[in-house]
Amino acid sequence: MSRLSRPHLFRNAIRADFAARSIDLAAAVLAFAIGIVTLAHAADPPRVASINLCTDQLLMALADPAQIVGLSPYSRDAVRSHAADEAKNYRRLSGEAEDVLILGPDVVVATPYTKHATRELLKQQGMRVAEFDVAKSIDDVKDQIRRMGDLVRHPDRAEMQIARLDAAIARARKATARKRYQVLALSRRGWVSGADSLASTLLSATGLTNAASRLGIRYGGFAKLETIVAARPDLILISDGSNIAEDQGSALLLHPALEKMYPPSRRIIVPEDLTVCGGPMLADALERLVAELERIGGL
Amino acid sequence: MVIAHPAGRQRMIVTLALCAGVAALTLVSLGIGPVALSPTTILHALFGGGGDVQRIIVLEIRLPRAILAIVIGGILGLSGAALQGLVRNPLASPSLFGAPQAAAFGAVLLIALGWADIHSFALPVAAILAAFTSVFVLLVIAGRDTSLLILILAGLAISALAGAATSLTMNLSSNPFAALEIAFWLLGSLEDRSFRHVALALPFIAAGAATLMSQRHAFRTLSLGEEAALSLGVNVGRLRLWTILGVALGIGGAVAVSGAIGFIGLVAPHLMRPLIGYDPSRLLVPSALTGAVLLLAADIAVRVIPSTSDIKVGVLTALIGVPFFLYLIVRERRALGGGVA
Repeated sequence: MSRLSRPHLFRNAIRADFAARSIDLAAAVLAFAIGIVTLAHAADPPRVASINLCTDQLLMALADPAQIVGLSPYSRDAVRSHAADEAKNYRRLSGEAEDVLILGPDVVVATPYTKHATRELLKQQGMRVAEFDVAKSIDDVKDQIRRMGDLVRHPDRAEMQIARLDAAIARARKATARKRYQVLALSRRGWVSGADSLASTLLSATGLTNAASRLGIRYGGFAKLETIVAARPDLILISDGSNIAEDQGSALLLHPALEKMYPPSRRIIVPEDLTVCGGPMLADALERLVAELERIGGL
Repeated sequence: MVIAHPAGRQRMIVTLALCAGVAALTLVSLGIGPVALSPTTILHALFGGGGDVQRIIVLEIRLPRAILAIVIGGILGLSGAALQGLVRNPLASPSLFGAPQAAAFGAVLLIALGWADIHSFALPVAAILAAFTSVFVLLVIAGRDTSLLILILAGLAISALAGAATSLTMNLSSNPFAALEIAFWLLGSLEDRSFRHVALALPFIAAGAATLMSQRHAFRTLSLGEEAALSLGVNVGRLRLWTILGVALGIGGAVAVSGAIGFIGLVAPHLMRPLIGYDPSRLLVPSALTGAVLLLAADIAVRVIPSTSDIKVGVLTALIGVPFFLYLIVRERRALGGGVA
């Protein structure tokens, strides 16, 4: 039996090999055809889908509405998404691969940190995925604006946004505090933004100093309430001025120990949607920061 | 006088020793934290002296934490002793009945629905209602002459259900920090609490403790057996209801500020029985004090153990409590086997 089947198997293998070669050939022809089609369409501005909150913001600021295939699920979050209202005009994606594949955008934009499986799956399916790193400095932000501008083929708009950001920085520097206040950028659960963060870049742009190093925090980390009180930074920078805590994490910012040392006159409030992502909204964040310093009489 | 009696004297000594233990651990708790303060600085700060920063650290950060550890540990120990007296079962305790888990669910549901913030009195009220429901349902399921096995299985089911419901509620809410917050509600912590939290929990815990203490003589009579208690004029149905109410008030108030801290209610009465005896009425106060000592010690330990992120105090009480529970099961194996053994 086995001896009989062997030549048979061999013949089959040759046949299979031939079949595979012809499929390869067909694929090459097809790829060539697609290439021609793609070239023909190259003049059309690319259609882009975003599966991350921060790329949502860049995309809305720089692309034509017709170019935006869809935005991430958090794009409509009024607290964190700067353009939450505008985001309602676009399709809200699930953030997973399925709807992106069906919609077939030319490019998917995302961050290299979250949704690893989704990005891999999209790449495997032949999608072009452009990854935007988390911005840590104003220069990072400018690079990202420029990159997104090139991607959506509106570099002029990108340059405009960068000019607006530069102007805001210049205004902020001009209005620099006379005293170099030590400011602690504090978030829920006592998270402190370190020297290597967007928050500290904003602080130094306005002539303030990040007090994180006083607490021994370099790259961001959780600080104990006691440590904060003992370090006595001049001001704290928070994102929410309300006195309602929706969970234990945000209750920390309303702890009587902090409220006693940091009454509203020693709290700078810059809403989260202005600072959570590195994007054109940083110009607004800087203006807000200067306005807050004026409010507390620091200028 | 009762005190003249040798057993009475031993009880007195144990109670006094426990009080001294609570006092000593309170001082340790005030002395420990990320900022090093000398004992004299702490004493100065306690009486309103010293610098601004030191006073705020001691009075606003460490003192409320120590008070909450005493009060919450106390009500957990008391509730455990009361429940063990009520069902005449050494394996009864709030956490095995799913009461803290249910209370956590009540509080989380209220926050998720957006009806209250974390400092609202509605929070303990919701926690109390949920705790009451869970213990009530459990005792209804278990019935009157209940076996240990049924109690434990029903309690396990209720706490698993409440834990799952808490997680789901947080997941469905719009809070993007759900994972961390779920850990808090299911494991419990006393970190960075304030006098606002003390004010929130204390009235309910005090009411719960008073309710349970008012039933202490009935527990003693009940230890003779339900029939005997009935013949001696104890309304067992009403005793059950008062006990459930007392436990729910105490646990609900506690959980609303600390999350679910388990196993202290189970362990505390057991530590006291060899010293105090088996009279459930006399076990209540020493169990409460033991609960306070245990939680104070656990809350000190989470600050002393070196770690990169804060350890939840409920993790520690479970680490100690669960092996103890397993030991109890081994000891009670015959009773758990029921008719078969």
